[in-house]
Amino acid sequence: MLSGSMPAGGELLIPVTNSGYWAFGLREYPPGTKPSLSVNLSLSLTFPSTSSQRATSQDWPPIKPRLRDTLKSLRLRQRGYNTALFIKVYMEGVPIGRKLDLSTFSGYESLLENLSGMFDTSVICGNRDRKHHVLTYQDKDGDWMMVGDIPWDMFLESVRRLKITRPERC
Amino acid sequence: MNRALCSRAYLLCFSKSKSLPFEWMDRAIKLQLSTSEMNYFPDEVIEHIFDFIASHRDRNSISLVSKSWHKIERYSRHQVFIGNCYAISPERLIRRFPCLRSLTLKGKPHFADFNLVPHEWGGFLHPWIDALSKARVGLEELRLKRMVVSDESLELLSRSFVSFKSLVLVSCDGFTTNGLASIAANCRNLRELDLQENEIDDHRGQWLNCFPDSCTTLVSLNFACLEGEINLSALERLVARSPNLKSLKVNRAVPLDALTRLMSCAPQLVDLGVGCYENEPEAESFDSLMAAIKKCTLLRSLSGFSEVAPVCLTAFYPICENLTSLNLSYAAEIQGNHLIEFVQFCKRLQLLWILDSIGDKGLEVVASSCKELQELRVFPSDPHDEEDNNTAVTEVGLVAISAGCPKLHSILYFCKQMTNAALITVAKNCPNFIRFRLCILEPTKPDHITSQSLDEGFGAIVQFCKGLRRLSVSGLLTDKVFLYIGMYAEQLEMLSIAFAGDTDKGMLYVLNGCKKLRKLEIRDSPFGNAALLADVGKYETMRSLWMSSCEVTLGGCKRLARNAPWLNVEIINENENGRMERNEEDEREKVDKLYLYRTVVGTRKDAPPCVTIL
Repeated sequence: MLSGSMPAGGELLIPVTNSGYWAFGLREYPPGTKPSLSVNLSLSLTFPSTSSQRATSQDWPPIKPRLRDTLKSLRLRQRGYNTALFIKVYMEGVPIGRKLDLSTFSGYESLLENLSGMFDTSVICGNRDRKHHVLTYQDKDGDWMMVGDIPWDMFLESVRRLKITRPERC
Repeated sequence: MNRALCSRAYLLCFSKSKSLPFEWMDRAIKLQLSTSEMNYFPDEVIEHIFDFIASHRDRNSISLVSKSWHKIERYSRHQVFIGNCYAISPERLIRRFPCLRSLTLKGKPHFADFNLVPHEWGGFLHPWIDALSKARVGLEELRLKRMVVSDESLELLSRSFVSFKSLVLVSCDGFTTNGLASIAANCRNLRELDLQENEIDDHRGQWLNCFPDSCTTLVSLNFACLEGEINLSALERLVARSPNLKSLKVNRAVPLDALTRLMSCAPQLVDLGVGCYENEPEAESFDSLMAAIKKCTLLRSLSGFSEVAPVCLTAFYPICENLTSLNLSYAAEIQGNHLIEFVQFCKRLQLLWILDSIGDKGLEVVASSCKELQELRVFPSDPHDEEDNNTAVTEVGLVAISAGCPKLHSILYFCKQMTNAALITVAKNCPNFIRFRLCILEPTKPDHITSQSLDEGFGAIVQFCKGLRRLSVSGLLTDKVFLYIGMYAEQLEMLSIAFAGDTDKGMLYVLNGCKKLRKLEIRDSPFGNAALLADVGKYETMRSLWMSSCEVTLGGCKRLARNAPWLNVEIINENENGRMERNEEDEREKVDKLYLYRTVVGTRKDAPPCVTIL
């Protein structure tokens, strides 16, 4: 997977609790340039037994769009989210935090890109590389979790704050 | 002509007019009426006899008996069912059945319901309306499922068929309320406008106003799937002047007071779909509603209730004992205890669609109260397992229902866990199942007690339920379950597979064993070319095969297409920008989505760029 300093393409696997992995594809970039994370658009839950198995939140479980939408809007209404979703973001070692509106991002890749820019470092999900800052979040239960394990919409509903930590802590 | 024979034939028909024709033919044989003797009847007599045969399958069989029967049947066939709109062309249909009055058409494959088929895949209505209109067919009824319908088609439809009576659209898209306005305005004899789960662009226009004052023939009006506002007074006037209205399903834009008024002027309603009432109504409004409901003594079927305060459900207590059909699958705001309180009084219920918030306890109540239950669907209120609730349903609820409801024949059940023991019990309790669809929310989840696969459980289902016609499997499954299915599921017509099986053998067991298989849909399972190509002739006996995220390759599909010219083999690649030129040479490339179907009219000409037909 990741070797040496910069990831040279291929896939970054983020372990998920049960049996699968979230896979991000990373593009190669020439040495010496500022490391900015550009992530492939494909986000899929991969089961280790069969490489091609994927279940996205849009096509599994097999329920019709109208039921899916009804349940989703009920969930959003219950959480009172209709517009902005501002949460605090801290970088470990830096006392002053930032505020970020998560509703402006379409998914994990744009969030990571933005954070990398905002904190002027490379931020990733996953704990396999000792050189990068790892993004974690505090969920509605108060627990600190690794970002990237769950589908984006689910993440939006349970995230309370973000922290960019050093990998050794994970 | 032999009068004795003729009168005997008439007697048979009149006395057994509701039975299957094979019973009739059986009796005819016993009375030694052979078909050659029957041919001495004038054609009108034979045609009259055929009038008693409604099922399209039986009519297909009759048309194969002899040339003269084929001809008589052709001209007397009024209802035609086309399971795949690309299997035949409108012109050929009209040539064969010129006296067509009622047409049912299905377009996109079933998995389109779950976002697996690109929006622009096909299934366009327009060529059909165009051809029917040009041939001046006396169309009266049109039923469409998963077709792309345009406002232009609806406009043409409304102007072309003077006797047009009934339009039923299920899971269609591509049109707006302007199309509905044409139907309302131009179909003078409209009896039925039934819109189920369609994606309609709502221009919040005045389509309801377009029903002329002279329109008094409405029997059924369902616009529950429309998102926008409607003209309430136009609706009230329409309902008031429709004395034959039996079925009314309104959308979320109809508030409580309006519903009360509607019910007051239509106490003859049999089927009601309720709108959306988030806030608890005031006492006066609630009382008026309840009074109106009390008068609807013929009400048998209730649906709707999306975004409804639970108290509104209680307004229906006066008539709940009469209900035979209850669809609360959108009532996400009504908690389990309210659902249970209501359902326990619905003693005559035959059909129940509900969310899993009713819980196992609720299903136990259903099992003890609803002894007439025939069809049950339990949908997931938490499809992605985001809540930490323990009130969703499990194998306990399923077993309770199977034990308590002796007439149950169809079930669709979403749950988080299942066991082989439960499935075996269910199979033994309900040998009369026709449809059994189980969806365990987490793919490849095993028996939660033994951690084994669910092969034995589903094996019991197919073994004991000898009349099973439709099956959906889920959970952890090996090739063994397919061995059982191939061995026992003799009447199986439709099978849905997801995240199951180990090798090609699994799919082969099914293809070789299930003689009556018509539709096979598979996703995310390790079946490849060997299974696909083993028996190419099998696909001629089936309507269609869908395989997505499996192991079949482009090369395999190409070989299939070469050996089976009577099939359309479609490769759907949503990630490609155009056709598959890039990968043309790489036959080892796995195919993302494969959809093949038998057809008598060859390659379709309306495929979008993401679809390649081999």
